[in-house]
This record gives sequence, C-alpha cells and structure tokens, in this order.
Amino acid sequence: MKHTNNKTKSVKSLSGGTRIFTYICLAWALIVSLVPIVWLVLSSLKKDPLARPGFQLPESIYLQGYISTFRDLHVMRYFGNSMFIAGVSVLISVVMISMSAYVVARMEFKGKKIVNIMLYSTMFIPATALTYPVYNLINNLHLYDTRAALILIYSCSGIAVSFFVIKNYYDNIPRDLEEAARIDGCGYVQTWVKVIFPIARPGIMTAAVLAFLNNWNEYYWASLVLINRDKLTVPALLSTFTTSFNTNYNGLFSAMVIIILPPVLLYCIFSKFFIEALSGGAVKG
Amino acid sequence: MTEVKEKKKNKSRLKRRRSGFILLFLAPTMAAFCIFYLYPIITVFVTSFCRWDYTNITSPEFFGFSDMWNNYDYIFHTYPYFWEALRNSSIWALLGVILQIPIAAVIALALSRKVRGIRIIRNIYIIPNMISTAAMGIIFLQLYNPSYGIVNQVIRIFNKDFTDNILLLKGPAFIAMTAAYIFFTGTTTLMILGNIMAVPEEVREAAMLDGASGLRQDWYVTIPMIKGTLRTVSVLAATSGFLLYNEVYFLTKGAAGTYSISYVIRELAITSPRTQFGRANSVAVIQILAGMVIIVAVNLLYSVSLKKKEGRGGEAL
Repeated sequence: MKHTNNKTKSVKSLSGGTRIFTYICLAWALIVSLVPIVWLVLSSLKKDPLARPGFQLPESIYLQGYISTFRDLHVMRYFGNSMFIAGVSVLISVVMISMSAYVVARMEFKGKKIVNIMLYSTMFIPATALTYPVYNLINNLHLYDTRAALILIYSCSGIAVSFFVIKNYYDNIPRDLEEAARIDGCGYVQTWVKVIFPIARPGIMTAAVLAFLNNWNEYYWASLVLINRDKLTVPALLSTFTTSFNTNYNGLFSAMVIIILPPVLLYCIFSKFFIEALSGGAVKG
Repeated sequence: MTEVKEKKKNKSRLKRRRSGFILLFLAPTMAAFCIFYLYPIITVFVTSFCRWDYTNITSPEFFGFSDMWNNYDYIFHTYPYFWEALRNSSIWALLGVILQIPIAAVIALALSRKVRGIRIIRNIYIIPNMISTAAMGIIFLQLYNPSYGIVNQVIRIFNKDFTDNILLLKGPAFIAMTAAYIFFTGTTTLMILGNIMAVPEEVREAAMLDGASGLRQDWYVTIPMIKGTLRTVSVLAATSGFLLYNEVYFLTKGAAGTYSISYVIRELAITSPRTQFGRANSVAVIQILAGMVIIVAVNLLYSVSLKKKEGRGGEAL
C-alpha cells in the first residue's frame, strides 16, 4: 500500500496514442462532472437566467436568491432535519451491525450460515419492491409523518454494506488481543466494548461515513413517509421545488447551489477518507 | 470427584454465557432484518395473490386457488404501463453493464496514470456522486429546459427551429433521462481504481518485458486482473439501473414512454387515487424475481469470459 505512487507510471513513458487517449478520458471526466455544476452556479448569479441563458456570463452578480434561500426558505431547518435523521440512524445501525459482525466474524454457532445468507441477501432485495408493506407498517405503528419513521427505515436498510465493511475490518484484528483480555478476566461484552470496538474504530467509521452519505441523500423513503413541510429532509424538500419557485429561476438556482453545498464541502474536507474507504484503502486521497 | 463436577458446572455456565452473548449481539440486527426485509417480502408474495385495494385497505382477501393469478393477469394484460416499464428498466439494467461499467473502467485506467493534477481531476470526478440523485434530477430538469437550458441551445446550432421540450418527445426523453445519470460513475470508478492500484507491480513489469505497454497492457494484463471487481460493480450497476426511480420522478413522471418498474409500483401502491396494493405487490414480486435473474445473468457473463481468458480475477465483494 505504501508504494502506491510508484506503481502509477508517468504518462511521459507512454506511447503517443495511449497518451492522447488518456488525455481525452480525463477531459471527458472533467466536462461531465463540471458542466452541470458550473452552469448551475453561473445561473444562480444571474438576475434573470431566462434573459441570458446557457453559459453567458451574468451582467452583474446578483445574490438576492442566496439571501432569500436563508431568509424565506429557512433552508437551515431542513439541513437540521437531515442531520438529525441521518445522524441518529447511522448511530443505531452502525452500533447494531458492529455487534453482529463481531459475533459472525469471531464465533462459531449453529445457524451461522443462515445469518450470513440473510445479511448477504439484503444487498440484492430491491427496496422499492417493499414499498407498500413498509409504508403499511409505518402506518400501523402510527409513525406516519414522523422523523422516527425515517430513522427506523434508515436504521434497518442498507445492512449489507456496513456489515461487510466492518466484518472485513474485524477479520484483520489478531485474535491474541481477545485472549489476553479474556485471561485478564474480561467477559465477552467487556472484551468487545473495551478492546475490540476501539481497535475497529477506523473500519466502523468508514461504514458510518458511507451510511451517513447514503441517508443524507436518500429520497425515496423520505418522500414517502414525510408530509409535513417542517419535518422534511433536504432531498424530500427538492420535490417541492419544481412548483414552489414558479418563475423565480434565480431563487431556484440559488437554493439548488446551497442544497448541494454541504455534501460537496463535506467531501472536500474528508476526501482522503472517502477515497480510501471506497477504493478499499488502495488509493491515497 | 467434586472437582470434576465443579469443572463441568463451570464449563456449562461458560457455554450458557457464550450463547447468551451471541444471542444478545445478533438480536438487534436480526430484528431489523425481520422488520425491514423478511416481513415485507412475505407480505409482498402473499398479498400479490389477494384482492387488496383502496376499497378494503385493512383486509386483503385471497382470490381463491382458481383465480389466484388475477393480479398478474391484470398487470400483464390490462395495465397499460407494465410492459413499457419492464422494457425500460431492463434496458437501464443492460446499459449499466455495457455502457456505465466500460466508461467507469476506462476513466479508472486513465486516472491510474501519472499526470500532473491527476488527484484534482479524480476528486472533481467524484463530486457529482456526492450530490443526491434527487438534486441531480432537478439540475438536469433545468439543463433540459427549452427556454433557458443549455441542451436546446446546442440542438439549435444544428436545427434552428427546434423549440420542443426534449423530455416530452418519445425517444429523446428516454435518452435524456439516461444521460442524466449514466455518466456519473465516480464511486464505481473509485472502486475499480482501488483494484487497479492493488495489482502487484511485478505483474505489470513482467508485461512490460513482454512488450505490452499502454493500452495493450491495460487490455491484456490489467483488465483480466480486476475482473472480480468488475463483476461486483456490474451487478451493482445493473441492479441500480433496474430500480431507477428518482430520475423518472424528477424528469418526466413517466411521460413520453419513460415509466420504470419502481415508478409503477409506487404509482399503484401510493400515488394513484385508486390505490391497488395487491397489484402493486405483484409487480414487486416480478421486480424481485427479475432482479435475481439479472444478478445471475451478470455473474454468468463474467464466469464465461473468465474461463475463456483464464485470467485471475480479484476477490468479489
């Protein structure tokens, strides 16, 4: 892992054709990811995006849309909702899964195979197929239109990814540590809380970050179980955008920029972490 | 004697404690699995054979064995959007494998080379994947807007009189919707890049000695080495293409021939004024089964090509 950088060959050593192809790919990557965002930011600065469409520069920089996004749209409230719902459900699911993953990684017991299959299968069960039963369940528990409903759904869904990330991490922890703790008189629970959990923290954090991003961006369930505008998460708020701004395009574009900002900022700060998590540790951020 | 007894007692107590611990630590996840997966799946399968709609919300009613396929019959023969949705979702699943993954792999290969500023390009390429697909949907809705978007401006270079909204034209709407998500392969690219970086240096050096460099080396050496990862991300891409919902909702709401299976389920079960829970669940059964078929098909595709090339793949997830 530490000699990662030596592995990448300098582009200068490559033949002309390969080099050109590489540059074309990189240019494509930049265009695809930048065009929509640059256009969005540019449009948000125009007083009337209709009058100067496309990539024309604004006549003068107009920030009214940004001001009203904070003042009239109360965007901070929705950030708060998303933060609360995503945060609490990540906490629940990660603690829960790091407990079970430990048992599966370290102990032999009857039915272990079935537990494994159950957890593995969650990766391939399409959540949208479960729409009505879940919706019905939420109604029967009298949780409809509450934040608790979404927390319940997020805590229970997406088990597979967290499970595999955390279990892989456990597999790399030497067993001697537990034996030493056991000899010192620690019980099973104590061993896990005091010895294993702290050591596995990087793996658990990786799972938590990925789960948080997923929950923060989740739209399908959020739009299904939340109705009251005050409780909406950021993605659920978006479905009101197509109508609520009517012809105030500057307002729409400004609100969009502000809404995509937190995940992008979060990524810029923690990009090292994201990149190592997603690439299995082989790419340095 | 007493010592042996004592030891036995101790042992069984330890055993009990161990089982208690296992149960305690597994219980929460198992409960979550039952709430969110097991119970809903059973409900979906059972009620897909029931008359269950807005008229009998609390009491689904089994059709009886002679008419048990009633809902499926309706979905296949009467419901107007099912086949369109199934075709679209299948095409999106297929495009995930044959378009999205090659793009992701080619860009991952480009990103694996040493070029000045490569880190910045890599980080920028991942940014769209950090934004929710709902937000990307709205951004593309604006890009496709006929009066102030940029797509129509580009079309007008070639066809001056073009004033239509491409999201309302059958054919172009499907392409436009596909283009709104398919090129954002940031996370997939990163997973592939991680595997490329993990290919041992000696393998590449050996290939260099054999005269394979650049694109040839990529094709004959690197790609076969990362087939395990390619298979995993192909399954993920096919599945997420098959389940597409947000893009449909934000861009067309199913207009101009762009229904998806997920959209049909939600429409039947929730949004329609005359909700049809039983029928929605029979579509859900088809979605679950078709999803399994897709996973098996992608795996078969890769195991056939693995055998043919005898390449060593990495670990699948």
